Parts: sequence; structure tokens; C-alpha cells
Amino acid sequence: MALLELKSVSKSFGDFKAVDEVSFSMEEGSIFGLIGPNGAGKTTTIRMIVNIIMPDSGAIKFIGGDIVPDQIGYLPEERGLYKKMYVEELLLFMAKLKSMKTREAKGQINYWFEKFQINDWRKKKIEELSKGMQQKIQFISTVLHEPKLLILDEPFGGLDPINVNLIKDVILELKESGTTIIFSTHVMESAEKICDDILLINKGKVVLSGNLAKVKENYKKRNVLIVYEGKDDFIKQSAEIEKYNNFGHYVELQLKEGGDAQNILKQAIRDKVIIRKFEIKEPSLNEIFMEAVGADKEREGGDHE
Amino acid sequence: MSRKVFAVISREFITRVRTKGFIIGTLLMPLMFVLFIGGVFIFALFFQPSTKTYDVIDQSGMIYNEFVSLLDDTLSTGEPKLVFKKVELKDGNLDSTLAFLQDLVNSKKIDGYLIFPNDILKSKTVQYAARNVSNFEEQADISRALSKIVTNYKLAETGVAPDSIRKIFKTGKVALVSHQVTEEGSTEKSGASSFVLTYILVYMIFLMVMIYGQMVMRSVIEEKSQRISETIVSAVKPIELLMGKLIGICMLGITQLVIVGLIFLVVALYGGMIFNNFGITSTDLLDIINQIHFSLSIFVFMIIFFIFGFIFYAAIFAAVGAMVNTEEEGQQFQMPIIILLIFSFFIMFTVAQNPDTVKAYWISLVPFFTPVVMFARISVSDPILPDGALLSIPLMIISTYLLLWGVAKIYRVGILMYGKKPSLKEALKWIKYK
Repeated sequence: MALLELKSVSKSFGDFKAVDEVSFSMEEGSIFGLIGPNGAGKTTTIRMIVNIIMPDSGAIKFIGGDIVPDQIGYLPEERGLYKKMYVEELLLFMAKLKSMKTREAKGQINYWFEKFQINDWRKKKIEELSKGMQQKIQFISTVLHEPKLLILDEPFGGLDPINVNLIKDVILELKESGTTIIFSTHVMESAEKICDDILLINKGKVVLSGNLAKVKENYKKRNVLIVYEGKDDFIKQSAEIEKYNNFGHYVELQLKEGGDAQNILKQAIRDKVIIRKFEIKEPSLNEIFMEAVGADKEREGGDHE
Repeated sequence: MSRKVFAVISREFITRVRTKGFIIGTLLMPLMFVLFIGGVFIFALFFQPSTKTYDVIDQSGMIYNEFVSLLDDTLSTGEPKLVFKKVELKDGNLDSTLAFLQDLVNSKKIDGYLIFPNDILKSKTVQYAARNVSNFEEQADISRALSKIVTNYKLAETGVAPDSIRKIFKTGKVALVSHQVTEEGSTEKSGASSFVLTYILVYMIFLMVMIYGQMVMRSVIEEKSQRISETIVSAVKPIELLMGKLIGICMLGITQLVIVGLIFLVVALYGGMIFNNFGITSTDLLDIINQIHFSLSIFVFMIIFFIFGFIFYAAIFAAVGAMVNTEEEGQQFQMPIIILLIFSFFIMFTVAQNPDTVKAYWISLVPFFTPVVMFARISVSDPILPDGALLSIPLMIISTYLLLWGVAKIYRVGILMYGKKPSLKEALKWIKYK
């Protein structure tokens, strides 16, 4: 079931179009990757979802309307804490901003302190903590109120590998317990491992979206490598191919949308071409991203779901 | 008020009230004022004027004796205030005598000289030359003595006995005993003490509006530079955050005012005793302290006008904080606000002396100046409310409301803008952002 839906959302700052007609919907209980290079419009999109800024046009809808702002947890990319506050005091303050009762909040704080084994930090001032420790406290402050929707903007930024693993495990646990998570990043490798669905945006526009496995499957079917001997008419005259790069006996090609690699193979056999190798390549998300962004101009508006 | 705003208020208040800076500042402030006032008096005692000597050339030959007898005041040390010495013209030549006297003045043997001309009764002018001609009181004394002597001669010329004239003047003299009319009746009041009190209180408002306004600015800059804003405004509306900040820090200011006020109250009630114990017995000082009546109504007005001044100026400070990225930039950009505040403090000096003029009335109604200037008028006129005092309250509320409306919009955009700081024109455009 969809939890959140954006319809043709746009936002400009002066002459700069930060978000341009973005539409997507998010499944409840999934990890949704919001992916794009720096300045693509990810943060602006998130800020509109958490109601920090208003879209110029379009609609943002929580389906069923059962999510109120206090049920969202938001870890911004630009984040920091009050240096002069004590750890426990700060977490209680953040909990109150999410309308939690003090007792409830204290219970949650205890739970997370136990989980991260940081009980002895309680009475420390934030400024006494290392950068990584502060990141953990910031993460706790985001999930303290058990949000239904958790928005993490570059959550692994500035963390060492051990803490990356720790936070990753926690994110997966939260997903198991039914939390819907938006995971925004420009690091494709981490998105690839953790996300169920993705939305690729670039320069404010959606370039690609959908279930990650399906997206990959889609791209897998579209990138073909053939090693052959014989005439290349089966490639030149094929109606299935978007573009190709032929080295004589070795060709890399990309299918058109809905193109079928099997038809190319059939034609090659009909033409009595000898096929040494026929491979449908699995691209990494990074490749998909590079290609989608690179082909952005040609494909504009053609590839949205 | 929502629980969230309350959470912001208590955070702003608690994290500051427990700092050493606040505690020490609160205790030091009244001490500073006491030392300041004490210092002024000790300074005054220290710089008691010394005996001045003048040489006198009396060309008319009929003024000097009486002149000297009229100016026989002494200093508190018992020394004479002014000492005169009659000198004759050297070889009957005025110019060379003047040159000689000039040398005496320059070599600091005498402080100055006077020349009573031959035709003094007719010309009614006397030359006064001294190293320092800014001692108005002394000059007024000399002028008064000379006028009296000349008047006597004139009266004598007309055949009227000076004594009989003086009698007439004496019997006709009406004394003015100043009373201030209040609702409970009338009280005698020392002008000096009400000025001293007003200056202290106004200075406190001025200082606190500035200090606490800057505190708001630093608070905004901290959230911005430490990247805290975004986390917070995803949970509370920017306007709630701003209001919480203003209220929290305002309460901190009021806390300080009340503590300082209580300390003042103790000084006002027992001040004389305390100073006596320390062996300070200057009667001027004790008179003034004893005559300060620090009324409750002044204190209430002080808090009201501190709140107005604080919210008004702190809102502008908050807008500046939202526009800049670092405290250094904030320091630069706050200058216009501080100049406005200092300007209103200077206006106050003039207005406090003439609180009932039309100009004072209008100036004290300008929102930028109201907190300092109107409060000064109220304090000087206490216990009577000056014209416009009650009008200034709704005016202040309306203008603060309008100001906050604009500031909230700049604030909302500014706290999430990192990097290049905007020009004032760009910042004003933010007001139109959706």
C-alpha cells in the first residue's frame, strides 16, 4: 500500500528550479532510495515532505492522512546539535519537540543507550563528544519517537565503517518493525545494498524510478554484448536496437524500450552468423545512474513510471 | 501556547540561566552601578576646585575694594575660593602691563587677570582673561559682584540710597518651594535624585536590550552555523522557534532585572547605613541615595518597557542572525541596530530634562525610541504619567507585531540558507517567498 504520494511537485528559488514536476509514490514498510548527485533536488524534495518549505505547485499527500508531522523522523544532511547541552537533556528536548511525554521519552532514551552501550554518555555535554559519537546521538534523536516515516539524508556521511554497519543494522531492524524509510544519498553503492525502491533525480527532474530489482532487470535486458563472425546486417537493420558500438566481431548494444534481445539472436541465426558469445549484462546502480543521467536529454519524460 | 514552544522557551532559558556568565553578571551589575555612582562622587571630591588667583587692574579706582569684599567665599577646605591682587599700571602703560600679566598667566603664577576700565559705569564691560575660560560658575560670580557694585553707583547717581532699594527688594522677595503634585498630595522631590535614578534605570534598559538582543542573534547564528536549524524546524514551525527564543531569552532578562531590582531596593532602603559602615559620609551622596524613591510603578514600567524594547530590537537582531553565517559577520551587520539604540539613549538625555515638550512627546512615540525615551519620561515624571505614556503601549504592540511578521519570514528562509550572505535587498525578497 502506498504511504506517500507526490504529484507534479515543483519548487523554485528565484530563477533556479530546484525541483521540477516530480511525481512518485512510496510503499509502506519499504526503504525508498532518493538518489541523485549533489544539487539534484533531493534535499529540497525532502524539505517539502517534512513541511519545512511549501511547494510552488503540485501536491504531497500522505495516503489515508494518518501521518502527522510528529510521526516523521528526519535526519538532515546538514546536521548538528546544541554544543552546550547535556546528552540526555538534549534528547529529552528533541523528544518534546515531537510531542512525546517525558516518561515515554526517558524509556526510549534508556532503550537506545542500552542498545548503543553508551550509558556513560548521559551526563556529558555534546561538545565533549567526538564527531562520530555526536552522529549517534543525532541518529537516536531522529528515531526516539518511533516515527512511522523515517527520512535519512546521507545517514552514513562522516561515520567510520563500524558505525556505518551499526546504523545500517538499525535501519534494517526499523524496516522489519514496519517503519517506512526514505534513504537519500548520492553514494550509489550504499543505496544499491539497502533500498527496495529507488527514485533517481537529476537537476530537479525524475530520471528513473521504481522497484530496484525491476529497474536492474530492465537495464539487464537492455545491455547486450555479442561476439560474432559474419555480416553485421542483423545489427544494422534491427528494429530492436537503440544504439550500438561495433568493433567488427565484438559489439556492445543497447535495446530500445520494449526491445527484445531474442529477436536479434533469431535474426543472426537466420543470417547464418556465428555467435561466439551472447550476454545480457547486469549493470550496477552506478552504471544505471550514469547512463540515465547521461541520456537524460534524449529520454526526458519518456521513462517515468 | 503549544508544548513545543514551551520546550523551546525552557531550553533557551535553562541553558543560559545556569551559566557562570549569567550568575556573575547578575550579581555584578548592581555592584557596577553602585561603584559607578560612588566613583562619580569620589571623583568629584577628588577634583575639588583649588584657590584661584587673579590680578586686577582697576583703572576706575572705585571698584576694587568692594569687589574683593563681595567675593569672599571659601572652599570646603577653608581656603578662599578666589584671591585677588591689585596691580598698578607699569609706567602708566596699559600695553606693557598686559604683556607682563600675560607672562604671569603663562608661567602659571596667576590664573588670570581682570581689567576694570575707567568708564566702567558707562561701558559696563570688564575684560576677563584666564588660562581657562570654561568655568562658568566662577565667571557668573564675578559678573554678579561687578553688576551689584555698578548698580549701586548708578543708584547713588540718581540719589536713591542703595540700602533702601535693597530693603524694598528683600521685603518683596518671594520664595519658591518646589512641590510635585501627586494624587496623594504633594511631595518635595529633589531634581538631582530623580535624574540619577532615571539615568541608572534607562541605562539598564539600554544595556539589557542590547546584551539580550545580541544573545538572540548569537542563538540564531549558533543554530545556523552548527546546522541545528533544519532538525528543529522539521518538528516546530520557524515562527514557533523564533517566538520560543524571544520569550525564553526575554524571561532570562526579566529574571535578571528582578534580581537587580531587589538588590537596588535593599540599597535604597539601607544604602545610607551601608555607606556609613564603610565610612563614606559624603552628605551629597547620602542625600541622593536617601531621596531616591524607587517606586513599584517605575519598576513595573521598567519591566514593561524592557519587554517592548527587547522584543522589538531582538526581532531585528534575529533577522540579522538569520542572514549571516558566522558571528563575525553578525558583528558587522548588527551595527545599524546598535547605532539606533545608542541614538535613542542620547535623545533620552535631552528629553529627560524637558519631558513635557511637544518634541519629547513625538520622539517618545517612535517605536525605535519608545522603550528608552518613553521610559525616561515616565521615570522623570514619576509618579505622574507623562502624555502619551499609555498611547505608546498599543503603538509599541502594533509596530512590534508588524516587525515580527516581516522578521519571521526572513528568519524562516534565512536559517536554512548556507553560504553566501544575502544583500539586504535579497533578504527583503525572502518576505515574498511561499
